[in-house]
Amino acid sequence: MNEVIGTGTFEIELNGKTVKARVGETVVEVARREGIDIPTLCHDPRLDPAGACRVCLVEVEGQRRMQPGCAWRVNEGMKVTTESPRIQRHREVLYGLYQADHQLDDAGLPVPSANENQLRSLCEKTDVVSLEPVEAPRRGRDHDVNPYIQFNPDLCILCARCTRYCDEVEAVSAITLAWRGGETTISTAGERGLLDTSCELCGGCIDTCPTGALIEKKAPPLVQLQAKPVKTTRSTCNFCGVGCQLDLHEQGGKVVKITSPPVGETLNDGNLCVKGRFAYDFINHEDRITEPLVRGEDGELHPTTWEHALQVATQGLLKVREEHGADALGFISSSRCTGEENYLMQKLSRAAFGTNNIHQCAAT
Amino acid sequence: MKRHGANREQIIELLEHEGGVTEQSVRKVSGETGVPEADIWGAGMFYSLINQPGKRVRVCDGLTCQMMGAEQLAEDLKESGKEVERVICLGQCDRAPASLDETMNLVTYGKTTHISPENSDLPMNLGGAEDMAWSALAKAREMGAEAVIEELKAAGLQGRGGAGFPAHFKWSSVRQQVDQERYVVCNADESEPGTFKDREVLLRRPHLILEGLAIAAHVVHAKDIFIYIRGEFTNEIASLKKAVAEAEAMLGDVTVHIAKGHGAYICGEETALLESLEGKRGMPRLKPPYPTEQGFRNKPTLMHNVETIACVPSILRRGGTWFQEQGRTEAGSKLYCISGHVNNPGVYEAPLGITLDELVELAGGYDGNPNSFSPGGASSGFLPMKYRDLPLDYKSLADAGSMLGSAGVVVLNDTIDMAQAVAWQLEFFERESCGQCAPCRIGTQYLRRQVHKYLETGTVDSLKMTSDVSWEMEEGSICGLGMVAFKPLQTAQEHFPEAFQKRSEKQ
Ligand SMILES: Cc1cc2nc3c(=O)[nH]c(=O)nc-3n(C[C@H](O)[C@H](O)[C@H](O)COP(=O)(O)O)c2cc1C
Ligand code: SF4
Repeated sequence: MNEVIGTGTFEIELNGKTVKARVGETVVEVARREGIDIPTLCHDPRLDPAGACRVCLVEVEGQRRMQPGCAWRVNEGMKVTTESPRIQRHREVLYGLYQADHQLDDAGLPVPSANENQLRSLCEKTDVVSLEPVEAPRRGRDHDVNPYIQFNPDLCILCARCTRYCDEVEAVSAITLAWRGGETTISTAGERGLLDTSCELCGGCIDTCPTGALIEKKAPPLVQLQAKPVKTTRSTCNFCGVGCQLDLHEQGGKVVKITSPPVGETLNDGNLCVKGRFAYDFINHEDRITEPLVRGEDGELHPTTWEHALQVATQGLLKVREEHGADALGFISSSRCTGEENYLMQKLSRAAFGTNNIHQCAAT
Repeated sequence: MKRHGANREQIIELLEHEGGVTEQSVRKVSGETGVPEADIWGAGMFYSLINQPGKRVRVCDGLTCQMMGAEQLAEDLKESGKEVERVICLGQCDRAPASLDETMNLVTYGKTTHISPENSDLPMNLGGAEDMAWSALAKAREMGAEAVIEELKAAGLQGRGGAGFPAHFKWSSVRQQVDQERYVVCNADESEPGTFKDREVLLRRPHLILEGLAIAAHVVHAKDIFIYIRGEFTNEIASLKKAVAEAEAMLGDVTVHIAKGHGAYICGEETALLESLEGKRGMPRLKPPYPTEQGFRNKPTLMHNVETIACVPSILRRGGTWFQEQGRTEAGSKLYCISGHVNNPGVYEAPLGITLDELVELAGGYDGNPNSFSPGGASSGFLPMKYRDLPLDYKSLADAGSMLGSAGVVVLNDTIDMAQAVAWQLEFFERESCGQCAPCRIGTQYLRRQVHKYLETGTVDSLKMTSDVSWEMEEGSICGLGMVAFKPLQTAQEHFPEAFQKRSEKQ
């Protein structure tokens, strides 16, 4: 968060190589563009840099201390080193400390989670110093009965991405860091369940969590995910007209989880609402209507073809117009319709049936 | 979402008013201020004076109090049916052991304190009468801002809060900022174990502090002065309030705000202090930007320790050179706190660069056979008596692998187990880490656990990885707490290796 100096583009030296950089960019941003991997955990491009996880420390010429690449802004002529014996040793001990404060598997690595545990990936690649566990007295919220979001404090590294996301992106502020030191944990006011807070259950906290400490309650557990192949399909959410992209995770012919495409990849930038992320039960629900139905003389609904169903609807509407005039009709389109669909709906109303009684349910 | 704002700044104070953090109090304060409940809960839970409502006796567990039997005191109080909480250094090491009763009034069980006798040739002169005329402020107005800064430069005034940074740089830096909304903040959070000098200035010379702050406000064009004072300092807060009322006429259009701390050592760190003033969790910010560039409310802010700012009036009255000459190896006089195994613990104003032996002579001599001393608070670690003739100044102590820090000197005689003393200091850092960054949050827990394990089992193996962890704490931590929290262990292992050898049984 050092000062931004100058304007436009300039050159900096990254691991001895001259590269272009722009005013206001951070070391991590420039490095990633250049294909140089600086590990990060607490970094999410949607959030203000926190520089708290310390994983991205790099050496900046002229600075006595290593500096967080996620927060350090480049300026002209700056010389940055992202790999050195000092940085390597720093990572080996730092990851060791994280491991001492994390649930580990038999191999001594951070346990895998149903969602990716990036700490595990980092530790796998590193000759991590082995330390005895610290057994931090960290509280979870086991009593939280909300249907969607599960928090496991033993996998939490306190990067505060979830709380910062809830505040900075969603402006909801349902969750917070509470206590301090080794007791620090993710909490809510009064340690209440999420349903009793301002939480909108968007699940963005799950999405931003780098260690899988936050997971979808409804999604299959890790063992089940590993048992059979999971196929992902990019799709468009059809709950509203915004058009958020989502990735459907399908296993055994069923959608078992929905996530947002990675940050920066689609217009919704990693965000989804509660409906987009969690409301997929209808897909395989027994009550779901999967074919056109027309009510017969017997008062019951009977399956039919689209052609016949539309014919019946048209006749019914025309009959109302004949008997009571066009203004006896009214057209309401669903909030799930796109702009184009809404346009067609009003055309149907005005041009085909001759009434201005047209409305869109999202308008009220 | 709203990061700044008058409402948020009040929340901690409002929570205290409601008796501490409860679901009900948080809801009420949220209703009154519009700040989200979770933010209020999260901020409130950071502060140990309000996060567990209820009345109890608080017994200090600072190094000196531990040496003077605080453990036993706590046991006795418990036995008498009281609810007891152990709390960090209360800044009463000269009267150790110390406690706060259920209504936050100070109760001490040790000696009475000492200060240097009145001497008008001392810049601070704790024993002297207050100059209620504020002649230095008048002089500053006459001299003009740049000349005041020149005088500070000639005085060689270094920050007395711990880092020893030359004061005049900060004053110039704030003046150079484009933003005209500026603040002056006085750091009266004094919580470094072994330190109680600001306490005496607050009690005896509050006008010196206020006059210094008024001069600073005049020079950097600030309209508001904030004094952040630790909440445990009940008497000192009263003293300050009285002085502010007396100084109303002199302060003119400058407003002095007194903000109380609520039990968090880390809020003495300047950026954590600013977060706290803004009604947030006291988690230090990344630097740069420095407070002089983006401080309180992200505006240029001049922050000084109580003692630093209280030096300013005498520098202007008698000249920078005069002040500079009051020192021996470095500029000026210095308030040294001395406690532990000495006969007359207290606050002594002495030339910067006085030696331990000379200081202890002022304090009535050693009590018992001295074995080690901690020259500047928990962060400075422990030094052996071979340094008894070392000048107690910023540079000499840094060169010796320690630091002058807050000049909270604690003497330990040979009745104290050095490994145990280390454990006390590590317990302190573990409890006071803000928890934001892993090297410090996990490192302080790790070191404390391993030293306890060593004390319990006597196995040297418990300590074998501590130097790697210490290295990472120094390299990887965000702020000065994590960067030095291993010092007690590291210095004690270096200078007292015999205290960390294999032990046969629990000691
Ligand atoms: C962990 C930590 C605790 C600190 N506690 C205090 C304190 O209690 N009082 C204080 O004046 N400075 C304290 N400081 C130093 C401040 O950050 C800051 O340097 C000081 O207030 C600046 O004032 P000065 O220039 O007058 O020394 C602390 C620093 C750290 C890293
Ligand atoms: S070093 Fe410790 S006190 Fe400082 S920011 Fe990190 S966790 Fe907080």
